[in-house]
Amino acid sequence: MNRQQFWKTLWLDVRKDYSLYLLLIPGMLIVLLFKYTPMYGIVIAFKDFNIFDGYAASPWVGLKHFEKLFTSPDFLLVFRNTLIISVYKLVFLFPLPIIIALMLHELKQLLFKRVVQTIIYLPHFLSWVIVSGLFIDLLSTNGGLINKLLVSLGMEPIAFFLDTSVFRGLLVTSAGWKEVGWSTIVYLAAFATIDPQLYDAAKIDGAGKWKQLLHITLPGISSTIILMLILRLGSILEAGTEQILVMYNPTVYKVSDVIGTYVYRMGLGNQDYSFTTAVGLFESVIAFVLVITGNALSRKYLQRGIW
Amino acid sequence: MDTRLKQEQASIRKTPARKRSSSRDKGSLGERLFQIFNICFFIGMGLTTLIPFVNLIAKSFSSEAAVVSGSVNLFPIGFQIGTYRYVLQDILFIQSFRTSVIVTVLGTLLGLLFTTLTAYPLSKLRLRGRKWFLLYFIFTMLFSGGLIPTYLLMQELKLVNSIGVLFLPGMVNIFYLLLIKNYFEGLPESLEESAKIDGAGHLRILVSIVLPLSLPVLATIGLFFAVQYWNDYFAAMIYISNPEIKPLQLFLKEMLVASSNDFLKDRVDAALNTTPQSIQAASILLATLPILLVYPFLQKYFVKGVLIGSVKG
Repeated sequence: MNRQQFWKTLWLDVRKDYSLYLLLIPGMLIVLLFKYTPMYGIVIAFKDFNIFDGYAASPWVGLKHFEKLFTSPDFLLVFRNTLIISVYKLVFLFPLPIIIALMLHELKQLLFKRVVQTIIYLPHFLSWVIVSGLFIDLLSTNGGLINKLLVSLGMEPIAFFLDTSVFRGLLVTSAGWKEVGWSTIVYLAAFATIDPQLYDAAKIDGAGKWKQLLHITLPGISSTIILMLILRLGSILEAGTEQILVMYNPTVYKVSDVIGTYVYRMGLGNQDYSFTTAVGLFESVIAFVLVITGNALSRKYLQRGIW
Repeated sequence: MDTRLKQEQASIRKTPARKRSSSRDKGSLGERLFQIFNICFFIGMGLTTLIPFVNLIAKSFSSEAAVVSGSVNLFPIGFQIGTYRYVLQDILFIQSFRTSVIVTVLGTLLGLLFTTLTAYPLSKLRLRGRKWFLLYFIFTMLFSGGLIPTYLLMQELKLVNSIGVLFLPGMVNIFYLLLIKNYFEGLPESLEESAKIDGAGHLRILVSIVLPLSLPVLATIGLFFAVQYWNDYFAAMIYISNPEIKPLQLFLKEMLVASSNDFLKDRVDAALNTTPQSIQAASILLATLPILLVYPFLQKYFVKGVLIGSVKG
């Protein structure tokens, strides 16, 4: 197709479907304003931005803020916290839904199974504020159930929200309490796509439950598992900002201040706009690269992408 | 794609039948022991999920003396409902509840409107440049300007400290857009062709043919939006400092963060038979109530939503 033809068919297609293009316009403008305009704002990561000069007139400073970022002990601490909390969540909370989904799958009492599902999906729909409130109440040193239990077992009560040695554990546990039940859904749906005849055939061959699990169920959901892992890795620098912002306090900043919370406090609290924009850009770029790479790998090896 | 969804749903429906027949098999001793363990495990998991609520409910109905002495476990001690009366008369609670309702209703309606409008043309495979338009939207899912540039934009738009900042930026949600688009793609083309012969324009086809066929997916996405807006505190924490328009979740968060309860001690009338702890408990429960009320629908449609999402491979 030569150039002239291209423009001609383009014109014809657009004229034929012009009303479809009109329908696209509001959505595109909304996204342009609220999503793309802030991307232009990223320039302030390379400037010394101040509100009075605005974006254009603030002086360029090159990579000054990024140099500060990589040498600042504050940021190194925050970066370390982010990775530690993320890896804890990954190690403890990624396999758990798979195991629980397998166990749910084995429940023979259907009514019981449905009741269990109804209950364990519920916390997913609660906000972090509510979940945090529930845990504050449960772990309180003044009449909290857990501390009463500890005391009755002859142990000292623990101020979980103020103790740097247990606070990360609390973050992982509360995240698990909220999301593990709900996360089983993807795997339960994946089980349903496994051909039941495979199990019948295995039974005839004398394979027990364990062998069926290893040779049919797990291979049947492996592509789902890998896809979920890729998604999870893409957000490795998002250690749960919304959760931590509700649950942490100055006593435990040392172990729980992550990139997201740091940007919030330094950026909006101290109005250190340029530096925190640089920090945010650092996070966005890494996340972007991870997701793109993950998706490409998944397409190549699983023939299944995220989009 | 749609047929795969149907197959999945069908096979989910089929699974119980297969299970029932296998439960008649007499398993080995090991298998039966596993069954017992399994049931115990899920009873434990269920209780772990529910006990925090039961405890909170008990505290919200207990007397001041019982809560202060820390003796309330799973049942109220010294039953009273003054705490709820107090919370429901608290002007800050009422204001924030109202803000949350407004944000949730407007956010859901506008979100559904603009996300659907945008999804429809993108579902037309013949649309010239469709790939580029899709990329335009999907890119914003993968990369963003970040917190500070977004904040500065809202400041320039004079949206800081206005209720609009809580739902205007989310009017087109890309993730939901893809879900709706995928659903539209699965609808039979022939229906629209016949309408086109009658001379109906795209907007009319969308409103009178496509939308009525898409009610289940629209209900799902509507609930997605509603839960998202009801639960959001982060946007408000960034943009809203005016106490009159703080949404409920932010109000609760500030109540929790002042967990030494000074925040409340100042406001609780000493004559009331209640404590800051109980008031906190009652407020949390009241904020959870709307979610619990729609939960039966949530469960049904969210599971469906996850399936629609997972089908697009």
